[in-house]
Amino acid sequence: MKAQTHPGRTDAVIVGAGAAGNLFAAVLAEAGKSVLVLDSGPAWKTDDLYSSLIWSRRLRWGGAAVESTGTHAFGAGFNTGWGIGGAALHHYGTWPRLMPADFTMKSDHGRGLDWPIGYDDLRPFYDRIQEDVGMSGDAEAEVWRPAGAPYPLPPLQQFAQARLLSRGFEAMGMKTAPSPMAILSQDYKGRQACVYDGWCDAGCPTGALANPLVTYHPRAVKAGARFLTGAHVTRILRGRNARETAGVEYFNSNGETRTALARTVILAASTLFNPAILLNSAIDGWADGAGNSSGLVGRYFMTHSIAAAYGFFDNEVTENYMGVSGAQATNMDHYGKTSLGGGAFGSLQWQLAPAMKPNDLLGVAMARADLFGSELTAFMDRAVRHLAVMFGFGEGLPVLENRITLSKRKGTGSARSPKVVHAFPMESVRVWAKASELGLKVLKAGSASDPWTGPMATAHMMGGTIMGADPRASVTDSFGRCHDIPNLFIAGPGLFPTAGAMNPNFTNHALALRSAEHLLAS
Amino acid sequence: MDLSLEGLVPSRRTLLKSAALSLFAFQVAGCREMLTPGEAQRRGAALQVLTSEEASSLEAFGEVLVPGAREAGVAHYVDANLSRSIGDSLLTVRYLDVLPPHDVFYKDGLRALDAAASELAGRPFAALTAAEARPLVAALLPAKVAGWTGPPSPLFYLAVRSDAADLVYGTRAAFERMNIPYMAHIEPPTDW
Repeated sequence: MKAQTHPGRTDAVIVGAGAAGNLFAAVLAEAGKSVLVLDSGPAWKTDDLYSSLIWSRRLRWGGAAVESTGTHAFGAGFNTGWGIGGAALHHYGTWPRLMPADFTMKSDHGRGLDWPIGYDDLRPFYDRIQEDVGMSGDAEAEVWRPAGAPYPLPPLQQFAQARLLSRGFEAMGMKTAPSPMAILSQDYKGRQACVYDGWCDAGCPTGALANPLVTYHPRAVKAGARFLTGAHVTRILRGRNARETAGVEYFNSNGETRTALARTVILAASTLFNPAILLNSAIDGWADGAGNSSGLVGRYFMTHSIAAAYGFFDNEVTENYMGVSGAQATNMDHYGKTSLGGGAFGSLQWQLAPAMKPNDLLGVAMARADLFGSELTAFMDRAVRHLAVMFGFGEGLPVLENRITLSKRKGTGSARSPKVVHAFPMESVRVWAKASELGLKVLKAGSASDPWTGPMATAHMMGGTIMGADPRASVTDSFGRCHDIPNLFIAGPGLFPTAGAMNPNFTNHALALRSAEHLLAS
Repeated sequence: MDLSLEGLVPSRRTLLKSAALSLFAFQVAGCREMLTPGEAQRRGAALQVLTSEEASSLEAFGEVLVPGAREAGVAHYVDANLSRSIGDSLLTVRYLDVLPPHDVFYKDGLRALDAAASELAGRPFAALTAAEARPLVAALLPAKVAGWTGPPSPLFYLAVRSDAADLVYGTRAAFERMNIPYMAHIEPPTDW
């Protein structure tokens, strides 16, 4: 079918209506720019967010399949989003800042990579974002926290599970603090405080959790940004020369080819799909894909390992069905890159006492996937009232071989789907193993019964379009501007040169705000 | 210039409405009825994707994994979801990174399960005694079923176990049975 073109040219076309895409759209539209946002998924509203983990699966990627492989295959299906809000629509709102040492790994340790900016460059944007969206926490209690403004709201309420797990840390001389959460502990800017029902994973319809539907999306719409859903962007279009893009090609919900022309293109289509779109854009002048003169598009994909530690507290009801899906408390005593010893290299962050529903991947029944039949029934009877859990997030190092490439499988239109290849290097595996050992010790110190640890899992996705000062060793500059194509910006955690051990969405927001304001200024 | 995007795509609400309506629409004796999977199972509703033999194996497998899954209609639940596009499917397999088509995943897995049962006892899985089924099921997660020919057995085990757990533990009725509060903000369109 002959391609049709949106008449006229917008100032900016944004690919992807997740956290970064909506933030860019709000900032640019509020500055008077014409903005078109294209997203492949549905136009979710908050009243679509049913309190059910069965129904929550609609919020995960529902387009052409992503192929995930490697020794430690990344959980792509669970971590991605689909539609307005993206993965941030079902994210848990756990928002720690990266630490200063996360930005200087190469300089400090001679391995991994350095960021082209430091923590101090990002600090004011962290401070502004937390004020914008409303964060809850106790900055003083977080003794590990880098310099920054205190949270605008006091910490969230804690339930029995957090108190019981914290006991083990205290017994081992370790500290816990309320988790820094992008969830409202009090009414804030017209949004209602959290009621602790534990359904965050199904999307928060009340507006207590800072998902894009209640933060930057309404601002973008109010300022005139236009959103087109069911629009699968397949490639970016070359402009008058190889250092310019003219816009993007997409397939609409009827399967028709369309183009959207723009003065600036912002790829915010996720860590997996940004590289795929660039690699699918291989044409004359962009032989290896758009923005890929370095050969690094798709390289340095990173994720976090998860060490899950469980135990029972039979004398108390842990209230594990209450609270928030993220965490009630945190510990970062082993965030130092070498603090775990034994050949482990990388940071570790503990998140204590997430709310657990009986079913789903992070639910009670999956805590002992080996049980079935009458043993499972007995386990469930005990666990729904007495189980407690904590997750250790371990840093995955940037490794050239971990990458997003194009699958042989056909995607939308003529495009090919992304394929993720991932294996943790041995130093990162040791972080996970050390975390598992430590988790067991903490549970035993806290007098938990029958503690155990689960198999390695993965969470979060970073890298693949890393930022850097050297165009030969990175894809973009520190603002996400593509070295090769100055009117192409990339947004999202794909820009991270190192992963730290922190949930990436706060840093994602801070970077996007910094980049959007830079784009306006330039 | 002003581009109107309204009407270019169906609204999410329209999609959801149709999804909710048809997900539980089963054919019983030639009539289309809105049923829970459990009701569909009890009334012998027609299957759309699975054969009756496959459904029989799936029910038996689900019941061994999570007692109560057969009565909850695990086979009809899986069948109804497999008949939908991936974007509208509610199955866990959607985010277990199983490459589509997912009906092939289930059919191949059930075929391998029956083959393993036949190798063990000369009968399909649904005809095994509990004592025969247990060691076979226990060997799936550690991938120790000799001659397994289907999708990776740990993945198949986890997918069906999760489907069964959804129905037996993930509903409002299940929460009430376990005496834990459901605390819905927005009630799901149907319970099952």
